[in-house]
Amino acid sequence: MEFRELLKAPGPIILDGGMGTMLQARGLRLGEYPELAALEHPDWLLDIHRAYVEAGTQILCANTFGANREKLRRTGKTVEEVIPPSIAIAKEAAAGRALVALDLGPIGQLLEPTGALDFEEAVDIFAQQVRCAVSAGADLVMIETMTDLQECRAALLAVKENSTLPVIVSLTYEERGRTFLGHAPACAALTLEGMGADAIGINCSLGPREMPALVEELTRWTTLPISVKPNAGLPDPGGAGYDITADQFAEAMAELTELGVKCYGGCCGTTPEYIAKLCRALEGRTIKEIPRSVPAAVCSPVQVVPIDRVRVIGERINPTGKKRMKEALLREDIDYMLGQALEQTQAGADILDVNVGLPEIDEAGMMVKVVKALQGVSDAPLQLDSTRPEVLEKALRVYCGKAIVNSVNGDEEVLDAILPLVKKYGAAVLGLTLDKEGIPKSAQARVDIAGRILDKALAYGIRREDVYIDCLTLTVSAEQAAAAQTLEALERVKKELGLKTVLGVSNISFGLPARPLVNQNFLTMAMTRGLDLPIINPNLEAMMAAVRCYHLLMNIDTDAREYIAAYGNATVSTSITAGTAAPSAAPAGERTLEQIVVAGLKGEAPAATKKLLETMDSMSVVDDILIPALDRVGADFEAGKVFLPQLIQAAGAAQAAFEVIREGLSAQPGAETVSKAPIVLATVKGDIHDIGKNIVKVLLENYGYPVIDLGRDVDPVSVVEAAKKHNAPLVGLSALMTTTLGSMEETIRLLRAEQVPCRVVVGGAVLTPDYAKKIGADFYARDAKGSVDVARQVIG
Amino acid sequence: MPVTVTQINTAEVLRYMGCPPERADGALIAQVEACARELLAVIRPRWSWRTVSLTLEAGGVRLESGLLLPGEDLKAHLSGCGRAALFCATLGAEADGLIRRTERLDMSKALTLDCCASAAIEAVCDRIETELQGNFPGCSFPFRYSPGYGDLPLEVQGPLLDLLDAPRRAGLCATVSHLLTPRKSVTAILGIAEGEMEQKKRSCLGCPAQGSCQYRKAGGHCGIS
Repeated sequence: MEFRELLKAPGPIILDGGMGTMLQARGLRLGEYPELAALEHPDWLLDIHRAYVEAGTQILCANTFGANREKLRRTGKTVEEVIPPSIAIAKEAAAGRALVALDLGPIGQLLEPTGALDFEEAVDIFAQQVRCAVSAGADLVMIETMTDLQECRAALLAVKENSTLPVIVSLTYEERGRTFLGHAPACAALTLEGMGADAIGINCSLGPREMPALVEELTRWTTLPISVKPNAGLPDPGGAGYDITADQFAEAMAELTELGVKCYGGCCGTTPEYIAKLCRALEGRTIKEIPRSVPAAVCSPVQVVPIDRVRVIGERINPTGKKRMKEALLREDIDYMLGQALEQTQAGADILDVNVGLPEIDEAGMMVKVVKALQGVSDAPLQLDSTRPEVLEKALRVYCGKAIVNSVNGDEEVLDAILPLVKKYGAAVLGLTLDKEGIPKSAQARVDIAGRILDKALAYGIRREDVYIDCLTLTVSAEQAAAAQTLEALERVKKELGLKTVLGVSNISFGLPARPLVNQNFLTMAMTRGLDLPIINPNLEAMMAAVRCYHLLMNIDTDAREYIAAYGNATVSTSITAGTAAPSAAPAGERTLEQIVVAGLKGEAPAATKKLLETMDSMSVVDDILIPALDRVGADFEAGKVFLPQLIQAAGAAQAAFEVIREGLSAQPGAETVSKAPIVLATVKGDIHDIGKNIVKVLLENYGYPVIDLGRDVDPVSVVEAAKKHNAPLVGLSALMTTTLGSMEETIRLLRAEQVPCRVVVGGAVLTPDYAKKIGADFYARDAKGSVDVARQVIG
Repeated sequence: MPVTVTQINTAEVLRYMGCPPERADGALIAQVEACARELLAVIRPRWSWRTVSLTLEAGGVRLESGLLLPGEDLKAHLSGCGRAALFCATLGAEADGLIRRTERLDMSKALTLDCCASAAIEAVCDRIETELQGNFPGCSFPFRYSPGYGDLPLEVQGPLLDLLDAPRRAGLCATVSHLLTPRKSVTAILGIAEGEMEQKKRSCLGCPAQGSCQYRKAGGHCGIS
């Protein structure tokens, strides 16, 4: 019977047990490579597999757990040399009595952002294994012992894109119910079912007694069959073994039938004896059928956001109508976008919309960078926002979790281009109630379009719970009758189609005075009619207040806890200005801006700067106040009177002041900018320690230098390209480790070979002035302040 | 068994931050203490270890697994030791995540957290070392030695992690350029000598920073001994 038929048939599926511990018991020596057992100890392998089949195993995992090209590199063997004989031996042992799975374990290097391995590289590594296994005749794939949901996604995509084989995906969790990287079973369940796994589960780390809580969490978030392969109890850090016997193991495993588990096996420390006893313990037991339904939800790898109450989608990462964001996109200033993200989640956003569409930039490339960077700092799920299918696909590939795609509409061409992507990557989708004819005026016509979108989504295999509808807000000053139609359509989509609803709110008030009043009231009206997902600026307190009040009044915010936490100490003004923005901090008292910068009082800097700008022009504020203040701190730093943290604090205060000045200039069309010539910064290829480079960046920016920050682990070619593209007269390179000094040298060599007209400054813990000279750098910067001195010398 | 750290040495953190502890003002000390608390709340130290027998040979130190730890410095360091306890330890990915997030909000605080994390992983290693030493009564131990010290190359990180089954047991891996990830992690070799031996002090001589040490440049010392 094929695996997918086995899954449908009643009764448990019996997997195998430990392989590594069995090989060691056979005599595998410390330092020998278990991946090569098919080549070096084929008889052992055959015996072990046969013993499992004898014990009752229906699915044998071939000995391919570590047979990826990265791990095999140290053995001198290739994937093509190792996988086919490994599968052949398992098939020989199975002799038609068991199916054989390609076993895919972790690559052995961590993916970004914790590690340095690129997602597409990971997909490619797994794809090579999958192709090899398909030609060797594997029956299915077992992805297991994963600690990173993103690595699971890479492996699953590789299977889906290179085979039609069924696949089980299994992660390993710690006692706290999370993986080493903090990823949650709920997030794995939502994400992997969306991407088309056939079964999902848990293996390794823990013993069978720790399984029930994890299994229960999985069953709340997936309808897929569950697979469980625990260790023989809990291991000892020194490798002394595991703590439960075969009988205890079998007994604890058999209990899992009550939770509806379908596939049963063992991991480290389990042997054919464990599997034989497990089979016996399962005999006569029926797997309890527990009806499961998974609610509408999106997730990041660590956080599920169920759409079971009003969830706020933050709208700020979008250049439309935002000059400062456009500037950041053009300069590839990812940090600015990350700042916007963190500000919105702190204000209460549950989900962040991400739109980086500007005609002048490579939208797909930027989208990938921003999505990766956002997931490195924020746990909020993302809504990927673009009109271009190729941009959405790139974003969906690298997004770890279940995202929302923004958007499709009633136009068939759009639906056919985007819904297959939504299905493939397991996202939710936002449908706009418009089509080629435009936005219909009547509520009925919008409900009709919503119905068409839903039907098409269902036809593509997308769950009803994953379709969200935006009935579209029109500007009430232009069409006063429109708001009522929007609200009616929203209510009907919710009630008649049973779909979650989305609405961008702030358009409603365009062209009216006191817009916050209209926005806040429209939001409240929409929530009472069934709005689930308002797309708003969460930094506007009035909007978040409306959401909190709605939850309070509808008895969603139990015991008013959230309301009291937010407003317990607040004095709330009911005047209309309360709706604009959080009031800025109290006036800075008697302190001058220079004193504020020297003392590093970031919170006071904006107000003081605004006050100065009333009487001074921005260039004078920069040249006569900010730069001299920074110089004073810099001189004190060099004299050993203040230290790096204080220097950075002063820089932070200056940055807050610069931000006010920059916003002022952005608001004036055609105004000259404060910017000087740009500086390209990078932590060199191979090096992932970038805090030093980031400190240098903050300081340089606060002296008014625009910084093109290429990040860490940067390829020499990228440095050359950026220096050319931005005409940067200065390139700064950082390396922390002796092993990566070679890539620094290589980067400089390439800059010179390409005749890029720039000077190069280098820094980092292991560098010395002599070494800097030796590798061809123009300058050595001893510390962050030294980089500023170099910039002044080169750029002025 | 889990290793827990409940305190971080403020003076050590200040030194890592480039500030002689005696010259730190109250605000800076308060910042270090606040960051230490925040860091301790998120870290999840994990570790793994094993003992190996070893032989000293022409090219360096040969472990029983066949792995050669090349160079003269470790060999000299382990003279008199017939075995070693290998271990690795990590603060986990949450420490990196906290620092990364904080860099976008407040760089001064991020620097402080980064230095707190460096101090914390040292503290974790101290605890592990004490625990391991307890397993070998009557033995003596030269100070723990890590790749990057002296002439022991970082290239051995991967093979050491392999021996310790570190990816599976501690979630600890090396990159292709031999850097440990999560970043606040250590691999170490703790020599085991039967009976008494002359105690070696950790000193600048065997330090990987050698001529480029920030503390030495400033006329100071990192404080590790």
